[in-house]
Amino acid sequence: MTAAVFAFLLLVSVPIAFVLLGTALAYIEISGNEVLYQSFPQQLFSGIEKYGLMAIPLFMLAGEMMNRGGLIRRLIGLASLFVSGLRGGLAYINLLANMMMASIIGSATAQISVMTQAMVPEMERAGYTRDFAAATTAAGGLLSPIIPPSMLFVIFGVLGQIAIGDLFIAGIVPGLLLTGGFLLLVAVLGLVRDFPKGQWMTRREAARAAIRGLPSTTVPIIIVGGILLGIFSPTESAAAAALAALLIGRFVHKELNLLDLPEILLRTAFNSTLVLFLIATANVFGWVIIFEEVPQRLTLWLTELSSDPFVFMLLVNAALLVIGAFIDSIAALIVVVPLLLPIAQTNYGIDPFHFGVVVCINLVLGILTPPVGTGLFISATLAGISPGRIFIALAPFLLVTVAVLVLLSWQPWLVTGVLG
Amino acid sequence: MGAALALIPRISNALLRFEKRAAIALAASLLLLILLNIVTRELESALFWVDELAIYTMIWMALIGASAMVRMRTGVAVTIVTDLLPLRPRQILARVVDAILLAFAVALVVLSWQWYDPIALIRSGFDFDRFAELTLKFIYSEPTNTIGIPKFWVWLAVPLMSVNMTVHALANLVDGLPSGLESGADTGQSASQELGL
Repeated sequence: MTAAVFAFLLLVSVPIAFVLLGTALAYIEISGNEVLYQSFPQQLFSGIEKYGLMAIPLFMLAGEMMNRGGLIRRLIGLASLFVSGLRGGLAYINLLANMMMASIIGSATAQISVMTQAMVPEMERAGYTRDFAAATTAAGGLLSPIIPPSMLFVIFGVLGQIAIGDLFIAGIVPGLLLTGGFLLLVAVLGLVRDFPKGQWMTRREAARAAIRGLPSTTVPIIIVGGILLGIFSPTESAAAAALAALLIGRFVHKELNLLDLPEILLRTAFNSTLVLFLIATANVFGWVIIFEEVPQRLTLWLTELSSDPFVFMLLVNAALLVIGAFIDSIAALIVVVPLLLPIAQTNYGIDPFHFGVVVCINLVLGILTPPVGTGLFISATLAGISPGRIFIALAPFLLVTVAVLVLLSWQPWLVTGVLG
Repeated sequence: MGAALALIPRISNALLRFEKRAAIALAASLLLLILLNIVTRELESALFWVDELAIYTMIWMALIGASAMVRMRTGVAVTIVTDLLPLRPRQILARVVDAILLAFAVALVVLSWQWYDPIALIRSGFDFDRFAELTLKFIYSEPTNTIGIPKFWVWLAVPLMSVNMTVHALANLVDGLPSGLESGADTGQSASQELGL
């Protein structure tokens, strides 16, 4: 009965946070467990009463400041310095630019809409097919869950009660594997399909791009370095990054107007609300899962299937690919982690960092796969071609991602090795 | 009755303007508090209450934002089925969703009322110990960890959100259909200005 309410609310397109809220209310009403009503509003509050979650608004703020202050544009200029002359140079630039945007915007769909408009016309002009241009752009969004600061990592860390900073570190090798895999793919495709050759910058242009881009590198250095060296918590690194971006945008680039600040802050507040309110409502939704003994039933079913951790991880991956194809990645993460993480840890002895990295990469795949891949549809709409054609062009990238996922599931040390 | 109904969207819009200003102020405070924390820690005179205050600041920002989003109709929703429908059923469903949100908002108001139990509070003469004795509820007895005020003050964010949400949901119903009825792209627009490559 409760499941029917959940399905109904979801399908008539009630916002997901309210689906969780309403399902919890319906569950209490149906089960007669009315004592839960007493702590209902308080549980909404305590669901987000967590230090680590402050990283979400602060990273978003840093991203907004970087965008407005011209830092992102210069960082992309700096990155293109190294790859612009290669065969398929623009494709590399696209991937690198996406990586940077991913680390900042934190929402893969938002990023795909920005980048598709910026990169696809440019790549087409340079002689790439539109299919490939759109697919490369969309694939770049897949890097978003692992490049710090990742929203999904912050949320996984809070839900799973593990150190968010360590999760970022655990994501380094998988991030390099995935990025490397994509770059290799572009290189191979470039040879096979004879991509247009890029043009190296002249020495003077290169020097200019380097000098212009240099101040902007402060921000990623603060974030990654601050966390790696243990100077900052992820939350603090986000605040420091926001301040640095503000100062550089205002005083070095002179592009950020202080009068823009209210709008930047408002956007930050509302965008982070989307995530935070979802987490708040997930806290009351958690009751439904707990009292219905969903984890117990699931554990029983899974452990009967196999006792091998690798097989378990493959099953989880398969299930998440399906779930991710239908539900927004953050919402899926919020529902899935409390369900599967305990099973992974206690029944299969899987390291929570290992589990977290694999789950986060996996869930982002869903935005690029039919039937509900929002990223796929945004990309198709903005590029003006059918989702089917983009999907075909995307397939090699998706296969690389799945291959990396299988590799990571099979060899946990690729994730946990750096944690020592 | 009709005049009163027409008033609701105007109240809701005024409320939305207030919510936006509050969200801006709270987002700015959040940044300043965390920066203050870094600075005082480096100076080895860390302020012990900053973390807790910062967390409450974030929660107020999120809950105020949550009610504003009901009015702005920007929530992440699964639109796979509704997108397949012809316009007319979609319009009807949009009204159904508005009504569902109103029902949830009212439920939150009721639950908040029971939680704070203002009538019992008045009966106990605003004596928090007597309130606890009378009702066996300890909402007014709970302290905050470090900032030195009772916790019920910070919890007020939930009743506030519930009331605001109710006003907004009601206003949406009075106002009629959302403009355009396009779906899905709501969240995508958020960060999608000027990249200017």
